[in-house]
Amino acid sequence: MADAPLYEAVGISKSYGHVTALFDVNFSVNPGEIVGLVGDNGAGKSTLIKILSGVHPPDRGKIRLDGVERTWKSPHDAIEAGIETLYQDSGLAPDLTIGSNVFLGREKLKPGILGRLGFLDQKAMERQAAEELKRVGIAVSGSRRTVSDLSGGQRQAVAIGRAIAWARKVIMLDEPTNHLGARQSIEVLSVMRSAKEQGLGVIFISHTLPHVLEVTDRVVVLRLGRVVRDAATSEFDAESLLGTITGLIEAS
Amino acid sequence: MRDRSSVCSIGARRKATLLVLASAGVLAACSSSSHSSSPSTASSGGSTATSAAGASGSGGKLTIAFNMGAEADPFFIAMNQGAEAEAKSLGVNLIWQGDPSQYSPATQIPIVDQLLAEHPSALIISPTDPDALQPAVNQAIAQGIPVVNVDTHVTDLSKVLSFITGDNQQGGAAAADAMAAAMHYTAGQTYQVVVGASSATTTTNTARLAGFKAEIAAKYPGIKVMAEAYSQSQPAVANTNVNNWLTEYPNLKGIFAIDGTNASGAAAALQARNLVGKVALVGYDAYSTNVALLQKNVFAALIAQNPTEEGKLAVQYAVQYLNTKSTSGIPHEQTLPNIVLTPNSSAADLAQYTYPTA
Amino acid sequence: MTMTPASTEGQGRAAPAADPNPPATEPRDWARSILGNQQFLLLVALGALILYFYSKRSVFLSSGEMANILDDFCSLILLAVGETFVIVSGGIDLSVGSTASFAGVIGAFSMRGMVSHNDSEALVLVVGTIVCAAVGAGVGLVNAALINWLRLVPFVATLATLGAGAGMAIVLSHGIPIGDDTRAIIFSQAKVGPFSWPVFIVIGILVISWLYLHLSRYGRYTFALGSNEFAARAAGINVRRHLVSVYVLSGLLSGLGGMFLYLRLGSGAPTSGAGDELRAIAAVVIGGASLLGGSGRLSGTILGGLILTTVTSGLIISNVNPNWDQVAVAVLIALAAALQALRPGRRRA
Ligand SMILES: Nc1ncnc2c1ncn2[C@@H]1O[C@H](COP(=O)(O)OP(=O)(O)OP(=O)(O)O)[C@@H](O)[C@H]1O
Ligand SMILES: [Mg+2]
Repeated sequence: MADAPLYEAVGISKSYGHVTALFDVNFSVNPGEIVGLVGDNGAGKSTLIKILSGVHPPDRGKIRLDGVERTWKSPHDAIEAGIETLYQDSGLAPDLTIGSNVFLGREKLKPGILGRLGFLDQKAMERQAAEELKRVGIAVSGSRRTVSDLSGGQRQAVAIGRAIAWARKVIMLDEPTNHLGARQSIEVLSVMRSAKEQGLGVIFISHTLPHVLEVTDRVVVLRLGRVVRDAATSEFDAESLLGTITGLIEAS
Repeated sequence: MRDRSSVCSIGARRKATLLVLASAGVLAACSSSSHSSSPSTASSGGSTATSAAGASGSGGKLTIAFNMGAEADPFFIAMNQGAEAEAKSLGVNLIWQGDPSQYSPATQIPIVDQLLAEHPSALIISPTDPDALQPAVNQAIAQGIPVVNVDTHVTDLSKVLSFITGDNQQGGAAAADAMAAAMHYTAGQTYQVVVGASSATTTTNTARLAGFKAEIAAKYPGIKVMAEAYSQSQPAVANTNVNNWLTEYPNLKGIFAIDGTNASGAAAALQARNLVGKVALVGYDAYSTNVALLQKNVFAALIAQNPTEEGKLAVQYAVQYLNTKSTSGIPHEQTLPNIVLTPNSSAADLAQYTYPTA
Repeated sequence: MTMTPASTEGQGRAAPAADPNPPATEPRDWARSILGNQQFLLLVALGALILYFYSKRSVFLSSGEMANILDDFCSLILLAVGETFVIVSGGIDLSVGSTASFAGVIGAFSMRGMVSHNDSEALVLVVGTIVCAAVGAGVGLVNAALINWLRLVPFVATLATLGAGAGMAIVLSHGIPIGDDTRAIIFSQAKVGPFSWPVFIVIGILVISWLYLHLSRYGRYTFALGSNEFAARAAGINVRRHLVSVYVLSGLLSGLGGMFLYLRLGSGAPTSGAGDELRAIAAVVIGGASLLGGSGRLSGTILGGLILTTVTSGLIISNVNPNWDQVAVAVLIALAAALQALRPGRRRA
């Protein structure tokens, strides 16, 4: 199994009622690789991510991590396995502080008996959250601020920071540059590069094709729920990538 | 007439809940409802026809359909016993049917409709709403089925054969007399008393209070009604009211608990403050819980209605009319006097007038 | 509303780096910042109400009257505490009042049997408490099952149990109070200092609930669930299990509320808690929680409950037409809702 990809989806199909969102999709990412996942609106990108992150079970198909077949009963299982996700529709709780969001689901408890009774070590979490966000190059002042007080871009930054901070194997970013200004988008690209340098597998969804061409090693194109192209980024230019997405250029 | 509080509260309060949640608006609560109050209420039951079911035709015997608010309310259980005994002695069939647990026109109307479909010889009904049940009564009369109202009545009584009910005005007056006696009323002295009712719009409550006040004005000038308050059919609210009164009027001498929720609220307050025997508590309706508290002297007196007699007379008048085709000798409206029970009442009286629970 | 306990130390360490997205400058006019502090406003309102009723009747500030208000407060606040957890979690529990009645009736049946056997009062009450709590928790479990597995919205699910609980309480009791337990009434009146001992039990429950809602992981999950259910689930929180626990907690506290009503009345009546869901929800809303979930403070609920019970008793003692009580509650809710509208709008992430 030495050559098995880090994280792999095989023959995945998924329908919502009558809508077939994915059909027989094969997809994989290797350690230290950035894979771009592109396609028109409704092509099935977010659906694939949600299957890989344990939000939805697939109707058919297999998921393998490190060559071992896995079944996610809930997002909790995928998180435990080291897979982090930035969702397109927000994964933040707006009423909680930045620090509480970063630690959501993995709260630090107070040492000793208080911790065993379930009490939080809020100070430590706020401090560490600020450090983590800074480490990954995202600094939003005051980790005690409530997320609903942040701008759209700041929220996105917190969500990316959280995913990067916790990912151990794979990080999946569904349109991470949404809401972001030009400078912050560039920052996100460099955050992805450093994740890659640490040996993580990175999955990057975006409609901003220049970004995709700039940062990815490989591109997978989805159209109407099917993979129509899976090739090294070097095989595309802006025009051919757009053509493949829209279907003007037939899959080769 | 009598009171059915909890049912009122369930229905009306649920509406209020919706209202509040929808608009953070006015808490209409129970006060909009026009009947009611007393600890009791609708209730349970299960079984429907207690006696000979079957339609009008069974062997040429007369069949009387008796439809009440809520079948297993002890008040109606007592009424059923009176009706049943009378039906037996007159040799007629009795169909006894009401909703097991809901005191509401919404559940009563379909039951009446179904009873009428069986073409009974006569219909005795205790309408849960004077207007909502009017069409059903009109329809029965149009089908040639004579209608008797018992306990409560429809708005238009003109074509109804007879309406039999307890006399709330007299009950209120009797309560005043019982309270005065318990306080050892002496002319020239002043007695502070209070009144707990269920809501401002409950007609039975208003009639009882009017009778109470009229009697005081006529016979007991020394009794001063200091305050009135509503329980909204909740015993805990009644309890809060009475607790506050006892703080506000340290010399309080009497409490008239017009309905059952006020009876339990006031009884608990007196027991908690060790005021049993010091404050004359007069309650209404001989529910078993009230009678138990009467025997502990927590109540100085209970005003009991006579549902057994109401049920008996209703059947008697219906059968008399069917047999004679004449209204002579049948009162168009009859109010039955209430019975005053005190801790000194004989065990036999207590047993006879306590509303049964089964 | 933030849920972090206010403490500013360490703020400096949080983010020395320049903020790439400086916070949009929001117009924070004075009205907003004062009105935004609901706790402070509630305290002022409570103080003003007490002074007003005191000016009408000086007996209002007596210890006897305080005890009256607390008696009323104790049976209400247990329901309101459970309701706070539910509302913060983004749900609603309309069944709390009916559950209190239902549990009270069942508890009263079990206690009545024991009273007639002359069992010791303490034993009777312990058993009654356990029965009431268990019945309440059972209703909570039914609520959670309807919501989780039948996918009913909480409003509908708990409306159904409201009807079922109240109906069953009536059917079982024939509509009349169960028990005439004078011993329980007198026992529950035993004073510790100026107040009867149940008051201290309620205070204990309030403290523990406050700690758990605002400082524990359990509370954090409750806020997260109400704030954004998807986020909570995506973060690996077992949303269904947490939701079950919240409704069971609410039911359990309602059951205990039923036991408190029993202690007050010496009986369990099918109408004991009728309509109390309104007062409980009113206390929570007046306390500043949003019905959308994700925000609220238990201290607000406590102040809301105190305000409601103060108004009820104050109107009685100052001999105001008692119908004003309902108007007063409606006005308080409307004011609380207006305050919520004034607060900075919550943007859903
Ligand atoms: N929860 C859902 N219920 C029903 N249909 C859904 C759901 N989520 C997605 N779909 C449908 O599945 C298809 C794929 O949607 P998906 O969100 O995966 O697309 P996408 O590629 O992420 O698009 P976009 O670029 O707009 O984000 C669409 O037709 C969409 O309408
Ligand atoms: Mg998408």
